[in-house]
Amino acid sequence: MDSNVQIALEHYLLAHADDELILAHRNSEWIGHAPILEEDIALANIAQDELGHATVWYALYGDLTDEDPDDLAFFRDAQNYRNVQMVELPKGDWAFTMMRQYLFDAYELTLLTQLQESSYRPLAEAIIKLRNEEIYHYKHTSTWIKRLGLGTEESHQRTQSALDTLWPYAQQLFVTLPDENLLVDVGIVSTTAVVHHKWLDITTKHLTDSGLTIPPNNQPPVTDRLDHTEHLTTLLADMQKVARLDPEAVW
Amino acid sequence: MDTQWPRYEVFKQDKDGKPHEAVGSVHAPDGEMALLNARDVFVRRPSAVSLWVVPDSAIYSVTAEELAAGIALPEAGETQSFLVFTKRSQRRSMTFVKHVGEVTAVTPQHALQQAIAHEEFEPDKVWVWWIVPATAVTRSDDDEATIASMFTPAHDKTYRQQAHYGFVSPTRKTRGKSER
Repeated sequence: MDSNVQIALEHYLLAHADDELILAHRNSEWIGHAPILEEDIALANIAQDELGHATVWYALYGDLTDEDPDDLAFFRDAQNYRNVQMVELPKGDWAFTMMRQYLFDAYELTLLTQLQESSYRPLAEAIIKLRNEEIYHYKHTSTWIKRLGLGTEESHQRTQSALDTLWPYAQQLFVTLPDENLLVDVGIVSTTAVVHHKWLDITTKHLTDSGLTIPPNNQPPVTDRLDHTEHLTTLLADMQKVARLDPEAVW
Repeated sequence: MDTQWPRYEVFKQDKDGKPHEAVGSVHAPDGEMALLNARDVFVRRPSAVSLWVVPDSAIYSVTAEELAAGIALPEAGETQSFLVFTKRSQRRSMTFVKHVGEVTAVTPQHALQQAIAHEEFEPDKVWVWWIVPATAVTRSDDDEATIASMFTPAHDKTYRQQAHYGFVSPTRKTRGKSER
């Protein structure tokens, strides 16, 4: 593989791994606190799946760089993380978590369907299992969005409010990485425009069917994945604390 | 005011060809959510290919003792299909009743009378009968895509199997130390 293409691929894989890891962490914060017992289990399940997905992406990255997933997760600082800002935002209320998860699930399902055609075989093969889990995640969160949007006045208002906040953040998922065109040229990924259009079709329809209004603001707050809010620093301090207490410890 | 969601009994089918068995219940606002909740609560130890959920208000449940004491006579009306579930063993701990077949009747009581007369349901061995109108059952889809996303992922999750975790004897360590 051409070395510039490889570097572009490394950036791509790490970005997706970081999205999954940070989102998994935010979802795990609901364990023991979810409004319904069955939902506590369901969201923990989804978080575990996301963590599994992160492991797969980190492994693909590690195959190219020889870096260890645990080192990447626990010993990297916020300024070296490549996740979008949407996943690092605090968990908010139940409507906020469901809306964020819904927007992300719709994106991931659309993306993974595209990546099945990737010319980079290890990626195309790894995608199959991830996509099956993602189909289920999407079913779960889309069902919730409908119930919340068309539910009580309070549930509708909170869900609309969550959508108003998250819609611009979600657009960052479709910002092309600086070197991503190299991957498009060799067929490793499709253009983000393709994924964005499909995502817009799916989400616009479902959100509208759920009684919600698509916000007019569709500009992401930032376009550089290395640009983070202070929330990521707090999250990593929490997530990495134990591992960093004794970096030599054997787990 | 009770703000609790209605309760749905959950039936799980481990493999194609095996009967659905009652494994517990979930609370949900409707059948579709109940199926999703049931999948996350009960499809943890791998084997499953299908789930049914039934609102608990739709279940007519009768024990062997209540039967012996006599049941109410059926009323006139339109016939419908009822699913019959029985508990025949006192030794299963993880499941309750098992799906054994269907009867057509006017009321649950009438359906039960028929079921008791069915030799293949082994009525002498039954401890508990559940009679459920077919219209009250929400079933998971059985197309390949649903099975691949709803049930198959659990097969790879070895962390959900007890056997995945090895056992370390607490006495082994002290024995090793005293030998030195």
